Amino acid sequence: MAQKRFRTAAAREAIWGYVMIAPMFLGLGIFFYLSLGISFFISFSKWDVLTSPEWVGLQNYIYLFKDPVFQKTLWNTVRYALMVVPLGMIVSLTLALALNTKIRFQKIYRLIYFLPVLTMPVTISIIWKWIYNPDFGPLNLFLHLFGFGRLLWLSDVNLAMPALVLMDIWMGSGYGMIIYLAGLQNIPREFYEAAEVDGANYWQKLFYITLPLLTPTLFFSMVTSLISAFQVFDIVYTMTKGGPQESTRTMVYTIFDNGFHFFKMGLASAAAWILFAIILVVTIIQLRSQDKWVHYS
Amino acid sequence: MGTLFIKRLNSTHWWLHILLIIGSITTLMPFILMLSTSVKTPAEVLTTTPSFLPKLWRWENYVDAVTQLPFARFYLNTVLVTVARVIGQLIFASMAAFAFARLRFPGRNILFIAILAVMMVPGQVTLIPNYIILKKLGWLNTYMGLIIPSLFTAFGTFLLRQFFMTIPNDIEDAAVLDGCNPFQVYWLVALPLAGPALGALGLLVTLWSWNDFLWPLIITSSTNMQMLSVGIAYFQGQYITNYTVMMAAATIASLPMFIIFMLTQKYLIEGITMSGLKQ
Repeated sequence: MAQKRFRTAAAREAIWGYVMIAPMFLGLGIFFYLSLGISFFISFSKWDVLTSPEWVGLQNYIYLFKDPVFQKTLWNTVRYALMVVPLGMIVSLTLALALNTKIRFQKIYRLIYFLPVLTMPVTISIIWKWIYNPDFGPLNLFLHLFGFGRLLWLSDVNLAMPALVLMDIWMGSGYGMIIYLAGLQNIPREFYEAAEVDGANYWQKLFYITLPLLTPTLFFSMVTSLISAFQVFDIVYTMTKGGPQESTRTMVYTIFDNGFHFFKMGLASAAAWILFAIILVVTIIQLRSQDKWVHYS
Repeated sequence: MGTLFIKRLNSTHWWLHILLIIGSITTLMPFILMLSTSVKTPAEVLTTTPSFLPKLWRWENYVDAVTQLPFARFYLNTVLVTVARVIGQLIFASMAAFAFARLRFPGRNILFIAILAVMMVPGQVTLIPNYIILKKLGWLNTYMGLIIPSLFTAFGTFLLRQFFMTIPNDIEDAAVLDGCNPFQVYWLVALPLAGPALGALGLLVTLWSWNDFLWPLIITSSTNMQMLSVGIAYFQGQYITNYTVMMAAATIASLPMFIIFMLTQKYLIEGITMSGLKQ
């Protein structure tokens, strides 16, 4: 009798469980799982949305890998991530370390550094487009004081990408700072007290206590910021449209361009799957590497 | 008074302050330039002898921005879509999160892994099929299209599940003894306790939705359906050299997030911290 009641209670709980996850799975079922399947299928087809799709096998993938512009796009994306992630991490970490002391005006500093995170990327692009203006932009006027000539920034093949990197670091450092501050605050005080008894100076404490114990946070931030660096789009679209001469064309810009300018849905989907594969491989490599340098207490 | 202040500065590391002040100036400078340019005359912007304060204050730039762009409409669209996304995400994610954290049902672990898998695939992979699904449903260029696909969040489900796991069992047991069914426990007990976590997630969703760009860019085609971000980008493409009015528009568009952040700083930072520390 009691057993039976238990069973019906368990069954009722299970039914409630399914009911409560149902809306989420209905939504994700359509806009994620179904979509994922369609995307995979389209990546093997030639399709302009208007006529019916035509199966072309691996042709889209082969075409992309042979296309010099796509090769350049791949390299641009990797180059962008390799610049933004380490530099961004260094800036964020420096800010967090400086603010993790009992320094005055700590809240004001934190607020200031966080402002760009709250600002629309489009708005930031408007401001920085003007900052980078060769003739009357503040940056060139400022550099002129130190004897620099007229730098073209966004229209210079060699400078456009670093200009986007600089802007992105300005935009994103506050976010990393918050994550690192939280990580720093989780380090138990006793470690420092013990080190102080032994007469350790600031740098010794930094390299033997703070950084090793912060590695889980650094690891998390490296994985997530690499993923988002590979997906950069907004600032490319608003600042350079991939130019000059494809020097800032990135993977997501290519997906957008092929899909919604040229309506080559097959090529766009294939590029999206290549991006996914790259992100997956890079993430797995990082997960494998974590035993070597990440300390979990 | 002054010496006391300097003494206080000295007692902490003065070189840290120098570093932080240089950083602050670098961070604030673009905003200061934005504000000062937004009240200048176009002629003054195009000179090579810059000044922070305008010689002639031209407040009309703001009037121009608001009249040259359907700003009210962009605002309305952005607020409407953001509010709907926040409410929807909080309801669906908290319900699923509660079930995953507190209820037992066959297949629970596999289903939860299916949620986690969503977080690993970049959104661009489903971008084109979602556009096509919306086209088939007739939802392109509608509020439905802007809102509904963005209601289902694997990230939010994960975040809230971690929170619901920490609620002590006895609170829940007491409610069950009082005859509550699982949905009542969720609605009457768990949700009220989850206030800070819901607030943090809500703010992250607000920030993300307000700044969302690629999705509204591809699915909206008429000006009256555009959100602020896309509307301003479009405007920027058209009035490429009119920096003063553009800066006024940029200022108007950035204000709400600044104000919301000032009021809710603690929760937003908690949210980011939570999303950053939980494995």
